[in-house]
Amino acid sequence: MTSQKQNSSQLASSFRDPSGFLFSRDGVLYRQVNHKYEQEYARLMESGLYDKLVKARLLIPHVEVEQTPAEVELAHKIIRPERVPFISYPYEWSFGQLKDAALATLSIQRRALKAGMSLKDASAYNIQFMRGKATLIDTLSFEIYKEGQPWVAYRQFCQHFLAPLALMALRDVRLSQLLRVYIDGVPLDLASELLPQKTRFNFGLLTHIHLHAGAQKRYSGAEVKSRAASMSQQAMTGLIDSLDSTVRKLEWKPGGTEWGNYYDITNYSDAAFEHKKHLVREWSGRLKPSLVWDLGANNGVFSRVAGQVGALVVSSDIDPTAVEQNYRQVKDEKTESLLPLLIDLTNPSPSIGWANAERDSFGTRGPANMVLALALIHHLAISNNVPLLQVADFFSKIGKWLVIEFVPKMDSQVQKLLVSREDIFPNYTREGFEAAFCQRFRIAEAVNVRESQRVLYLMESLARPSDH
Amino acid sequence: MHFTPLPYLDPGSGSFLIQLLIAALLGLGVALRASWGRIKGWFGVKSQPKADDDDDEPETK
Repeated sequence: MTSQKQNSSQLASSFRDPSGFLFSRDGVLYRQVNHKYEQEYARLMESGLYDKLVKARLLIPHVEVEQTPAEVELAHKIIRPERVPFISYPYEWSFGQLKDAALATLSIQRRALKAGMSLKDASAYNIQFMRGKATLIDTLSFEIYKEGQPWVAYRQFCQHFLAPLALMALRDVRLSQLLRVYIDGVPLDLASELLPQKTRFNFGLLTHIHLHAGAQKRYSGAEVKSRAASMSQQAMTGLIDSLDSTVRKLEWKPGGTEWGNYYDITNYSDAAFEHKKHLVREWSGRLKPSLVWDLGANNGVFSRVAGQVGALVVSSDIDPTAVEQNYRQVKDEKTESLLPLLIDLTNPSPSIGWANAERDSFGTRGPANMVLALALIHHLAISNNVPLLQVADFFSKIGKWLVIEFVPKMDSQVQKLLVSREDIFPNYTREGFEAAFCQRFRIAEAVNVRESQRVLYLMESLARPSDH
Repeated sequence: MHFTPLPYLDPGSGSFLIQLLIAALLGLGVALRASWGRIKGWFGVKSQPKADDDDDEPETK
């Protein structure tokens, strides 16, 4: 839903389902509904299911429009879905985000069954966070339910949601990154092998993961006779209830990891902290960005300040604990304009999938109007050895305005990074920093942060708008 | 009624079969819960009204 390549082009991620596809024309995103899907679309709209789901903010709203179809012979209708302001992927979500996406999917399936429909896929990529809430963005995901029919998306639900959630909760939260390798979800035999033995005593995990994996291996490629493959609606309800309670029972509590209590151990005073907030507020108020990327956002303190001007703030951090805390706060405060994401800036999400074009890399999902890089430069330049000019180059391409904090070498946080290694960074000085960034930016303002040795800059990228 | 005999995604034979087995068992549970509620009803015990799905909150706390 992000890239608009040509004047009218089918989106690279939209090719699997013959019911229709997404295309973009003159920068607007449309979905073509094919003749093949006519009956299902009518049922969705006329049964009241669409209205109920949209009201519950579980399904993306759309309008039917008069547009020339992208594929005329196939076309039944053209719809224009509400635009998703920023697309994110399951391997960028915290535990709580993936869990909410799973529960939203099951809630949709329950409501669909009541309207005589059923989800024909349960892909985590069909869920996006819109105004803080997990929402299904594929309007064509429903099929007409016929009693007796099993849930065709059962395997996909287990692979995309249940398996990674169980691994995150019961083995290690970092295993969410398996989703980056396995685009159709974690293979169940792998999940079964990695999960602790005690999970065999949990009825939900025993059946939906362990026995499921065993059955897949044993009956791979076997023919299922359609008469035998019959399942009552009561059985379907039981299945959905069981998946729901299994998911709900999975918990992960953010503990103290890398930055878990970062703001308690910072080396600067309240005055410095408030001064930084003041500057971020002033600059974002002046520039009125609509999309802000806060990189290395920790639990999102400064993202919230930047978001006060009405921008959508993508608040990313490398630490699963910080991202989870950030997301919990978003939910508690019902913040609609903040999207916490798990991003390792030294290795941001690549473009993956068929032809490397199904899921976009992090860098190409912009540009942002404003990028925040607070207390970040030393991690990139010193911990990760990235030359300052390369840091400047990357930042200049992902956004128009940059708010960046220079943390000098004598700062105790930088000293900590240097304590166990040779200082091979002679250019890591304020002058060296400015010299490098001046090659890619115009420095609009530079302000010494009160009661600290740090400097906060507002810079404008010199990259051509087409690079943005 | 229109019914697509073959889904566009392969649901997997093993996934189908295990699902039928598990769901049969779980469906029995649903039926038992429902009849237990009715039995209690005969004795004048009111069962807790189950929250309607239309109002449920799918999010975690």
